[in-house]
Amino acid sequence: MSGTTTHCPYCSLQCGMVLTPGRGGRTLEVTPWEGHPVSEGGLCRKGWTAAGLRGHRERLTTPLLRDRASGELRAVSWDEALDRVADGVRAVQAAHGPDGVAVFGGGGLTNEKAYQLGRFARVALGTSQVDYNGRWCMSSAASASNTAFGIDRGLPFPLADVERADVLVLVGSNLAETMPPAARHLDRCRANGGTVVVVDPRRTATAERADVHLQPVPGTDLALALGVLHEIDARGAVDTAYVAARTTGWEQARAAASGWWPERVERVTGVAADEVRALADLLAGCSAGRGSAVVLTARGAEQHAQGTATVLAWIDVALALGLPGRPHSGYGCLTGQGNGQGGREHGQKADQLPGYRMIDDPAARAHVAAVWGVAPRSLPGPGRSAYELLEALGTDGGPRALLVHGSNVVVSAPHATHVAERLESLDLLVVCDLVMSETAALADVVLPVTQWAEEAGTMTNLEGRVLLRQRAVAPPDGVRSDLEVMAGLAQRLDAPGEWSTDPAVVFAELGRASAGGRADYAGLSHERIAASDGGLFWPCPDAGHPGTPRLFGERFAHPDGRARFVVVEHRGPAEPVDAAYPVHLTTGRVLAQYQSGAQTRRVRDLPDTGPFVELHPMLADRLGAHDGEPVVVTTRRGELKAPARVTSTIRPDTVFVPFHWVGANRLTNDALDPASRMPEFKVCAAAVRA
Amino acid sequence: MSPATDPGVVVVGAGMAAVRLAEGLAARGTAVTLLGDEDAPPYNRILLSAVLESACDPSLLDLRPRGSYADAGIDLRPGVRVVEIDRDAREVVLADTARVPYDRLVLATGAIPTLPPVRGLVRPDGTLHPRVHPFRSVADCRRLDAAVPTARRAVVVGGGLLGLQVARALAVRGLAVEVVEGGEHLLRSHVEAPAGAILARDLRRLGTEVYTGARATRLVEGPDGTTLVLDNGAALATDLVVLTAGGRPATALARRAGLEVRRGVVVDEGLTTSDPRVHAIGDCAQHDGVTTGFVPPAWEQAAVLADRLAGGDLTYDGHRPVARLRATDLDVAVLGDPLTAVGDVVEVTNPVVGSHRRLVVRDGRIVAATLVGDLSRVGLITGHYDRGTVLGPAEPAALLAGDRPAAPRVLGDDAEVCTCAGVTAGAVRACRSLEDVRSTTRATTGCGGCADDVRALLASRPLTPSGGTR
Repeated sequence: MSGTTTHCPYCSLQCGMVLTPGRGGRTLEVTPWEGHPVSEGGLCRKGWTAAGLRGHRERLTTPLLRDRASGELRAVSWDEALDRVADGVRAVQAAHGPDGVAVFGGGGLTNEKAYQLGRFARVALGTSQVDYNGRWCMSSAASASNTAFGIDRGLPFPLADVERADVLVLVGSNLAETMPPAARHLDRCRANGGTVVVVDPRRTATAERADVHLQPVPGTDLALALGVLHEIDARGAVDTAYVAARTTGWEQARAAASGWWPERVERVTGVAADEVRALADLLAGCSAGRGSAVVLTARGAEQHAQGTATVLAWIDVALALGLPGRPHSGYGCLTGQGNGQGGREHGQKADQLPGYRMIDDPAARAHVAAVWGVAPRSLPGPGRSAYELLEALGTDGGPRALLVHGSNVVVSAPHATHVAERLESLDLLVVCDLVMSETAALADVVLPVTQWAEEAGTMTNLEGRVLLRQRAVAPPDGVRSDLEVMAGLAQRLDAPGEWSTDPAVVFAELGRASAGGRADYAGLSHERIAASDGGLFWPCPDAGHPGTPRLFGERFAHPDGRARFVVVEHRGPAEPVDAAYPVHLTTGRVLAQYQSGAQTRRVRDLPDTGPFVELHPMLADRLGAHDGEPVVVTTRRGELKAPARVTSTIRPDTVFVPFHWVGANRLTNDALDPASRMPEFKVCAAAVRA
Repeated sequence: MSPATDPGVVVVGAGMAAVRLAEGLAARGTAVTLLGDEDAPPYNRILLSAVLESACDPSLLDLRPRGSYADAGIDLRPGVRVVEIDRDAREVVLADTARVPYDRLVLATGAIPTLPPVRGLVRPDGTLHPRVHPFRSVADCRRLDAAVPTARRAVVVGGGLLGLQVARALAVRGLAVEVVEGGEHLLRSHVEAPAGAILARDLRRLGTEVYTGARATRLVEGPDGTTLVLDNGAALATDLVVLTAGGRPATALARRAGLEVRRGVVVDEGLTTSDPRVHAIGDCAQHDGVTTGFVPPAWEQAAVLADRLAGGDLTYDGHRPVARLRATDLDVAVLGDPLTAVGDVVEVTNPVVGSHRRLVVRDGRIVAATLVGDLSRVGLITGHYDRGTVLGPAEPAALLAGDRPAAPRVLGDDAEVCTCAGVTAGAVRACRSLEDVRSTTRATTGCGGCADDVRALLASRPLTPSGGTR
């Protein structure tokens, strides 16, 4: 095969692709990596057009420095830019202490960058204030999985396992649009005789491909799960042998679910009692190994102030049926961002160190400090979570400087107007990006960095499969990698230790730092992944270990080997609808765009529709709204004017706005989940007028 | 108000409202004692008819794991009957003359079933006829359940929600069931006559005979067994008689203690009775002239009172009742009180398919509704009712109308068929084969969702002469 094998720069599926440079390296041709086990030669529109930023006129190729007098950004040399950042960091830290400087990362960064960013924060800056946009991705599923199973790997089995499931339940996932090549697994599941169930307030492209679609009120998936658990129990379909041998906490969980008979569920969720019973019937048939069933959650279930509890409720269902650890069965989370999985494992999270170690665990600190060649006590403790960090910027006791890598928080954070205000109050904002994102446009220093085709590194996809991103072309002149940025700053800040800019070297160090941790990469290397058949699954503790495609066959990761049932209580959305804001607002994605759109909105071959407001004909009638004409959505936090899309595929009491454009997140609620610190992106109270 | 300490809160009753209150108090660290007159540990009454139907595992009835009360800080005393409230001494008196002091007393005594005036129901010694079964408690449920295997026929006296549930449960268990309702139609305290008529028809279709406007008057023993005689002359030979003809709030204690009692124990928005140290919640309480008999308001009251007894200031401002029949193959939802609600009525009755749906709308809000035989929009309608959504003028009718059938899809050349690769119908039509489509447009190679459309487009393609050039 000519060209370089690598993976798509966008979502967590990480489809395999082959890049072939043309005409002097300015352009790149994308073709599918035919044999790759994840995508089997499939790509979606975003992947096909991923090279559209190569040679793009908006690509940043020189560091920019804001002139404080004129307010304008001007091109400067790398030395001048990095000196300015280092000076700024020193000044802020002299006045406000180490925590005066904060770091914000992203779930799109390679494992090497994510790892290095965590180390850079703790060792070079000495700050506890480091977190990343993964908090807004799958963090609720992560905290739920850690609680229930003692480990967080989005999918504890290869995605293709779902094709052999008798029942596949997707809660709040629109994978036919968010990761289209994954949708073939649904079709194959059905072709094999399986039943696919989609739970979503909208009849999405994914729901269209399912056998059963349940359409709950946004923010009530938890109550639905409790109702399903209740009905499974009522049928005597609980796998009591499994529950006794492999779990704890069942009696309390069942008592909590006993109050959720289907008619009560109906009143809360809007899903008819008979539909609840039908889903319980389907799942009950798979209990105790009589059949196989998989429950998958995604952002629709997770991006709530009760996101962790919601996931735990669905895990309770899976445990009651005895699914986790059985063939073609179990619970999993469909992670969103390209490296959402790896990005949360190696230390860019406020409370964690590499290898999914907890930063307040003395043994973990000692291990990681030894790898880093520093004293354990020199490592800071846990810092603020993503939204709390942004909210604290520029406030008393909050950070005064912020370094952003791989995130466009002005578009992607909830209550975005407030976040923009916080950024503007900083003494120093540094943004590393490919293009002038909305966040970069506010920065004092903008540093142009490499994009996927121009760098090597590893990505861990939604299955926990570690994949190798390979460099296909040299970056444009003037562009550096994030590793080079960190090395340059570390040197200026006299940070101890080596700061390699070679991803393979950094990955080897990551392996040592992760050794013995929950996400153990010690046996992996760039070389080994390149020679493997489509990537290797962690944990992989030594060079002779084959990797671990499936977890939980024998035991769960808690010390006693058992999974935990957790008692959860439905409280409903943090902001219920009322007379002034009578409609539920939910947000999500469209196929042709990715995240904040900083990349995809600039790709010419992708349709850029701008935001729109999806609403049901009954609601449109009530408001006098017409398809294609503008409507105004208002919440307690902001307002958005966009064209109406009138469609009967959405609940009549709910409107939907895609979040790829500035505006949607000016509306969303910043109420946080107590465990994961996930904001409630997926439901708030809104008013709509024509 | 200081949070209650020793001797704490004493609750008379250990039903669903009482346990919810106790959990709320225990979570706030307030000592609480439950005095329940039944021997069984607290159970979920809602599930009894499902247990009778064998659709629910009886072990699910427990409201909490049995051993968990003490651990949670709840002093549960089952099998204890309270005979008197001594308000001056702030004590309750038990049947064995023991006295239990309280700082705050909560009455959660529930309701007691009323026995219809049927001769022969009660034997001279005061016990019930052995074939007669009330259906209120878990003990009633167990006794009836035990009688089912040897019975062939049953008569259910009472055509309300509970009566229909029990009738369906017994029919599902294989018994020949008849329902006797004294009113002119089934569910007479909830729905209008046309809805009741549809239900009666549904029941008959399911093999259950229904007698309306007929009262049971006598239970007689004959050589052929037991017969229930109705006031219309009908004589129903039967093996079981189940009484579901309503209940009334259990207010005797409160009345004897001199508290204000009308239909139920009268409480204010703080769920306090005429004695500031005595409260009442659940089926026995009357708030704003209303007693409910449903679990959701009882739980709401329990949550409010738990907050208040721990020093909070929540208030109870009434409840929007929703009655849902839990019976296999009978679809009924009643929102609010459609019999008395005032407003514009939007109604669709379709006797052909056996559905009757009626919305009562005032100032754009659904204030009551009856849905029988067609629950296709029950979730949405209940949501609008619960949230007081102000609907547009055409919306109530739209809620009762079915979804319009989708128009057949005609794909113009500009219509996007493959969203993964951004391929239009025209581009597909320009291809000769699926292979051609895959290689030139990439359609079908992403998620594969457009494969059917692509095949259809290729099949409808006009034939071109072989060897033709383009």
